[in-house]
Amino acid sequence: MAKTAQEKADLKAEKKYEKLHKHKYRIKAGDVIFNILNYLVFGLFTLACIFPFYYLFINTISDNDLVLKGQINFIPRGLHLGNYTSLLNVGDLSSAFMVSVGRTLLGTALMVAASALVGYLVTKEEMWGRKFWYRFLIITMYFNAGLIPVFLNIQMLGLTNNFWVYIIPGIVAPYNIILVKTYIESIPAELEESASMDGASYMTVFRKIIWPLSKPILATIAIFGAVGNWNSLTDSLIYMQSAPKLYTLQHRLYIYLNQASNLSALMQSGGAVSEAAIKSAMSGKVIKYTISMVTVIPILLVYPFMQRYFEKGIMLGAVKG
Amino acid sequence: MNKVMTKRENISDKLYYLFRIAILVSVVFLFIPALNPVRISGMINKNLSLFTAGISYSSLTAEFGRAIKKEWVMESSLRLLYSSALAVCVGIAANAASGCMSLGNHKLKKLGNLVAVIGCCVELGGMIGIYVSYTQLSQTSKPDRVEPMFSSGYWPAFAAFALVLLLAVVQIILLARVRSEEKFEMESKYKLFLMFLPFIALIAVFAYLPLAGWRYAFFDYKAGDTLSMDKFVGFKWFRELVKNKATVKDIVNTMKNTLAMSGIGILTSWMPMAFAIFLCEMKNLKFRRFVQTFTTVPNFISWVLVYAIAFCIFSTDGFLSSMMVNTGVWAEGKNLLMNGDHMWIKMWAWGTWKGIGWSAIIYIAAISGIDQQLYEAATVDGAGRFQRMWHITVPGLIPTFFVLLLMSVANILSNGMEQYLVFENATNTSSIMVLDLYVYKLGIGKGSIPLTTVVGMLKSVISVALLFGANGISKLIRGESII
Repeated sequence: MAKTAQEKADLKAEKKYEKLHKHKYRIKAGDVIFNILNYLVFGLFTLACIFPFYYLFINTISDNDLVLKGQINFIPRGLHLGNYTSLLNVGDLSSAFMVSVGRTLLGTALMVAASALVGYLVTKEEMWGRKFWYRFLIITMYFNAGLIPVFLNIQMLGLTNNFWVYIIPGIVAPYNIILVKTYIESIPAELEESASMDGASYMTVFRKIIWPLSKPILATIAIFGAVGNWNSLTDSLIYMQSAPKLYTLQHRLYIYLNQASNLSALMQSGGAVSEAAIKSAMSGKVIKYTISMVTVIPILLVYPFMQRYFEKGIMLGAVKG
Repeated sequence: MNKVMTKRENISDKLYYLFRIAILVSVVFLFIPALNPVRISGMINKNLSLFTAGISYSSLTAEFGRAIKKEWVMESSLRLLYSSALAVCVGIAANAASGCMSLGNHKLKKLGNLVAVIGCCVELGGMIGIYVSYTQLSQTSKPDRVEPMFSSGYWPAFAAFALVLLLAVVQIILLARVRSEEKFEMESKYKLFLMFLPFIALIAVFAYLPLAGWRYAFFDYKAGDTLSMDKFVGFKWFRELVKNKATVKDIVNTMKNTLAMSGIGILTSWMPMAFAIFLCEMKNLKFRRFVQTFTTVPNFISWVLVYAIAFCIFSTDGFLSSMMVNTGVWAEGKNLLMNGDHMWIKMWAWGTWKGIGWSAIIYIAAISGIDQQLYEAATVDGAGRFQRMWHITVPGLIPTFFVLLLMSVANILSNGMEQYLVFENATNTSSIMVLDLYVYKLGIGKGSIPLTTVVGMLKSVISVALLFGANGISKLIRGESII
C-alpha cells in the first residue's frame, strides 16, 4: 500500500509527539518512586497474606524432626504425608469433620431453598398481610434479644446438645431473603404473568421460572452460607456443652490450639513440666498445624472458583430491601 | 331464608377466629416444656417438650432404666404414656391442618371441620391415656424417687383441645351442606400466606420468642431453676450494675476496651478506601488481580484459623522465633501471643489483616464507576497524580464511605466475640475483654444469667437507638436512609 506524502508526514509528526511525551513522562522521578513504593507495599502485604498458609503447609508435609527443630522455614524437606494419615486415627476429629460437613451441606441447602421461596413469596402483592409479615421478618436483622436470652430459648426448645441447632435457626436468613427478593423483582414480570395465565400455580411458577432464573443469586448466597456454616464456632461452643460428639471442626481446632498454648505458657513460666509433657507438646505442634491445614483446605480449594460469586455478593450488599 | 343463611355465615366467620386462636394455643403446648402435660413424674426431663416426648420414646424414658428394673414403675404405664403423647401430637397436627383449611372455601372448611373433630378425639383420647398412666404411676412403691406429679399444663391443654372440639362441632352444624359440584378452592392471598406461614413460625420462635427471656433480668435465677414469683427482685440487677463495686469495675474496664477497639476501627475506617485507591493506581492488571485475590482470602477463614496462623508464626516454636534463634538474635524462642501489651493495636492489626482486602472491593467497584473523562480533563488542566486522587477519586467514594462509617458507629458496641475469645489468655484478659465476650464468659461460663441478660438488654436497646440515630443523620445529610 502506497502512502501519500501527507500521511507519511502525519505519521512522522505523531511519532515525534509520542517520543516527546514519553520523554516528558520519564523525567518525572516522583512517579517512579511512587510506583516502586506502591508495588512494594502491595507486594509485601500480599506476601503477608499468603506466606502463613504456605508456612503452615510445608510444616505439615516435611520431616517431623526438622519441623520440631525449627528448620523448615521456607523450603519443605523430607516430604511425607504421614501427618495427614495419622490424623485419621484421632477419633474425635473424624466425627467433628463429619459434623462440619453435614451441617455445611444440609444447612446451606435448606437456607438457600427457604430464601428462594420466601424471597419469591414476599414479591407477591396479593399475599394476605404481605407488608406486615415482610417487616416482621426484616426487623429481626437489626434487633436481637442478646446471647443469653437466645441461649435460654434454645435450651427451652430442647435443642441444646442436638445437631439440629446448627440447622434450624439458620433456615430463615433475612439478609439473604432481601437479596433474592431484589433479584426476583428484576426478572421481567411478563414471564410470570404468561405462565400464570396458562394456569400454572404459584409453586409451578416458582419451580419452573423463578428458581432457574435466579440461580446466580442463589449460588452467591449458597457460597456465603456454606462458608459461614463451615467457619462457625460460637454455636458449637454454646449449645454443645455436654455433647462433645457434636463439636464442629472449628471447635476441635480451638480446643487443640488451646491445649498447646496452655502447655507452652507453663513452659515459659518455668513451671514444673515433665519431659514427656514437653515432648508431646512438641509433636503436638505438628498435629495442630495439620488440623489447621485440614480446616483451611476446603476454603482455599473452593475460593478461586467462587471468587466472582463472592465479589458479586458484596456488590449486592449495596442494595437495600 | 337467604337472610338467615347470611347471619349464620356471619356467626360462623366470627367463630372461626376463635377456632384458629384455640388451635394456635394448642400448637404452643406442643413446644413449651414448662407446659408439657406429659410430665407426670419428676424423672421426666424438665426441658422435654410434648413434641419431643411424642416422637422419641428413649428421651421420654431416659432416666427410668433403674426405676423399671426395680419395678417402681411398670413399663406398660410408660408405654401407655408414650403412645398417649404420640396421639396428642398427631391430634394437634390434624388440628393445625384444619386451621389452615378453614381459610379455604366452603367445601374445604367442611373437610377441615371433620379433620378437627377426628383430631380432637385422638387428642382427648391421648389426654385420658396420660391421666390413666399418671394414676398408675402414683401407686409406685417409691414415691420420693419417682416423684409423681401433675403437670400445670394438663388442664389448660385439655381445655384448649375441648374448645377446638366444641367449635368444630358448632361449625359443622352452622355450615350448610356441600353442593356436589363444588370443588376444593382457596383464595390466592390465603394460599400465599399459608406457604409463608412455616417461615413466620420459625422467625417467631427463633427471633421473637427469645425476647420473653428478658424477664430473667427481673428474677433471682440460677441455671436449672424454675421461675416463680417469690424470686421476683424487680430492678435489683440493674442497680447491681451501677452499685456493686466489683461489677462496676469489670463493666468499666469492658466498656473501655469495647469503645477503644471500636474507636480504633472507626478512626482507621478510611484504610480500605486508601487500599482501593492505591491498588487502582497500579497499571499492571495481572498484578492487581493477583493482589486482590490473595488479600481477600483471609476474610473467608474463621477466627480460630486466624489464631492458628498467629500461633504458627508467633508462638514459642513458630516461624518468627525459629528465625530469630537461627540468626542468633534471640537466645531462645519467645511466645509473643503470651504478651499482653498493646492488645488494642494487635487486635486491630489482625482485624485489618483479615478484612482490608475484602472491605476494599466495594470501593474498587465504586472507583470503576467514576467517569474517566473527569480524569482526562483534570490531566489536561495539569493535575498531578495525587491531585487527581484527592479531587476526583476521593469525592467519588465519600458517599459509600459515609454509609459504612455510620453503620460502624451504630455497631460500636458489637465487636463480635470470636476474635477476642480465641486470642484471650491469662496475660491479656483484662485488655481484651469486650462486651460480647464478657457476656459470654459471665453468662455461659459462670451462669450469672440475670446480670448478663440486663447487659444484653441494654446493649440491644442502645444499638437500636444508635442505628436510628445514624439513620437520622444520614437522612439529614444525604436525604437517604441507610436501613
